[in-house]
Amino acid sequence: MKLHPLSIPVRVVSRAVGIVWAFIFAGFALAGGDPLLLSGVVVLAVVVLAGLAGYEVAYYRRFDYELTDESLDISSGVFSRRDREIPLRRVQNVDVTRSFVARLLGIAVVDVETAGGGGTEANLRFVGGEEADRLQEAIRAKRAALQREEGEEGETEEAEAAASAGGETLFELSDRDLVLYGALSFDPRLASGVVALATFLAPTFGDRISLSGLGIAAIVGFAVVAALALWAASAVARIVQFYGFRLRRVGDDLRYERGLLSRHDGTIPLSKLQTVAVEENVLMRRFGFASLAVETAGYAPGSQPSGGSEAAIPIAPREDVLSLAQTLEPFHDFEVERPPERARKRYVRRYLLVGLAVVAAGFLVDQFLTSVPWYAAGVLLLLAWPAARLTHRHRGYEVGPDHVVTQGGFWNRSTRIVPYRRIQTVIRRQTVFQQRWRLATVIFDTAGSRSISAGDAAALDRDEDDADSIAVAVRDRVLDVIYERDRK
Amino acid sequence: MERLDSRVRLIWFLRVFVGSVVAGVIAAIVTGFVDSVTVSPLLVGGSVFAVLLVLGAIHVVLRYRAWRFEVREDTLYIERGVLVNVRTVVPFVRVQHVDARRGPIERALGLSSVVVYTAGSRGADVSIPGLVAERADDVQETLRRLAIESEPETGDAGDAV
Repeated sequence: MKLHPLSIPVRVVSRAVGIVWAFIFAGFALAGGDPLLLSGVVVLAVVVLAGLAGYEVAYYRRFDYELTDESLDISSGVFSRRDREIPLRRVQNVDVTRSFVARLLGIAVVDVETAGGGGTEANLRFVGGEEADRLQEAIRAKRAALQREEGEEGETEEAEAAASAGGETLFELSDRDLVLYGALSFDPRLASGVVALATFLAPTFGDRISLSGLGIAAIVGFAVVAALALWAASAVARIVQFYGFRLRRVGDDLRYERGLLSRHDGTIPLSKLQTVAVEENVLMRRFGFASLAVETAGYAPGSQPSGGSEAAIPIAPREDVLSLAQTLEPFHDFEVERPPERARKRYVRRYLLVGLAVVAAGFLVDQFLTSVPWYAAGVLLLLAWPAARLTHRHRGYEVGPDHVVTQGGFWNRSTRIVPYRRIQTVIRRQTVFQQRWRLATVIFDTAGSRSISAGDAAALDRDEDDADSIAVAVRDRVLDVIYERDRK
Repeated sequence: MERLDSRVRLIWFLRVFVGSVVAGVIAAIVTGFVDSVTVSPLLVGGSVFAVLLVLGAIHVVLRYRAWRFEVREDTLYIERGVLVNVRTVVPFVRVQHVDARRGPIERALGLSSVVVYTAGSRGADVSIPGLVAERADDVQETLRRLAIESEPETGDAGDAV
């Protein structure tokens, strides 16, 4: 099969935009009004563009894909050829993305992920809109058939029948919840924008504002306005991203679609599920909401290339999230056990040290650079106790019959449910600081690629001896599950 | 439990030495360029080098003492780390592939490292450095055999991902 013919102009334009800008800048910088040089630059630009168009035509002509019963075969490459065969059994995710322009033209990008390697294994830019849907559905159906054949855990005939009927809708984000989600979730990436803006503005205004009285008021005012603006921007971004969010169960796959301008449509195969994570930030917890993320080994929600946070459920009342999570991965009703009381004392010490470091840094700035009210940072020291309490209260773990549950994080509390059959390695970790308090951390490593960004599923700061027995117990349970031994 | 070959300390010490030299040279150059510091660059560089070398040497000794591993019935067990003590348990069934690696210095000393890959996000976190070449081949071969043998006959629970 060939790509959609419209992919040639779209690919040329999307590449040319960057190059044309480079030429405009270079043209003005180098030529500087000299008509001879300027026309030279124009000629060069035209030649490059023609070359680009030629390349894309060749790319289109030399790109071929075919979906067989067992694999997706792609041969591509203009200069160096590549024949790639992706076994359907190994496919993790199939994503269809329609950007705003692509939607107008009726074309779409299809990305196929497997667990191995970095990056997307198959990237079809662009195929027709219907062809994209056909591919997504065909890959799902064929993989399901392959799994049935091998008698693996997988869907039954009835489930397959239901699948061809379009699946059942598990969750739909109402407009009210969408606005709520925008308001309650804050994208930390935007905070880096504030810092960048602040460092950009600081030299401009730094000289005019004195660090006292009115100046401080102005800075505080600016900070408040900036925070509000960011929060609003973050809310709008989230709303645009998750507009019309719908989660369906098609056979043995989860399928979500979302987006206002560009539509995303992805599959998460439940048979490849690694961990389930329930996430609640401070605001969500306050109002009894939570979000659900499902990790597979292809990529995790939020990781590249999909970008953005691809929660299985962006927001819903906590009970609904838990009951839906239980239909996806039947886990027990858990109640996590907090770290020992002395861990809390450790956190107090730790936060006190951080506070002291801030005070000391303020003092040094005051001494050597410019006068600042460094003693004001002393307030931070008082915050160590409540902060330690909160940290302690939101950490915990439980070793259940089929899953281990870990919890951590105050600002964004994440409760992760890891099935024993997915655990790869068990790691017991103890820093010198933990050693002093006879505490240790046990990490449960899975193939979910998310662990890199969001930290591992870990039982944090347990008693040394408890940590040993947790590690042993989990290891035994992992082996039992793998070899289908009877439980002791 | 098995220990590493004692010659691995030499490799680690060489690394520390190179690192200290680089840090010392950088320190000397920086002091040379900053006008407000009047101390001789040679003295600063030398002392930075000496301090790092001593600290590094202590670390190497402690690191060697802390390192141990064991090929158990169903799992590979590794214990290591001076400042952060890490004990890793890798079930054989989770092993994807096993590498034996030999750098130029390792080759000169007749040593070899075994690197064990799992499908986990900490994929290459499990490596055993500084084994005598024959022992490394032996460990690699054992792990490879056990990884295949440990595959359960039924179900796909053993399927890593």
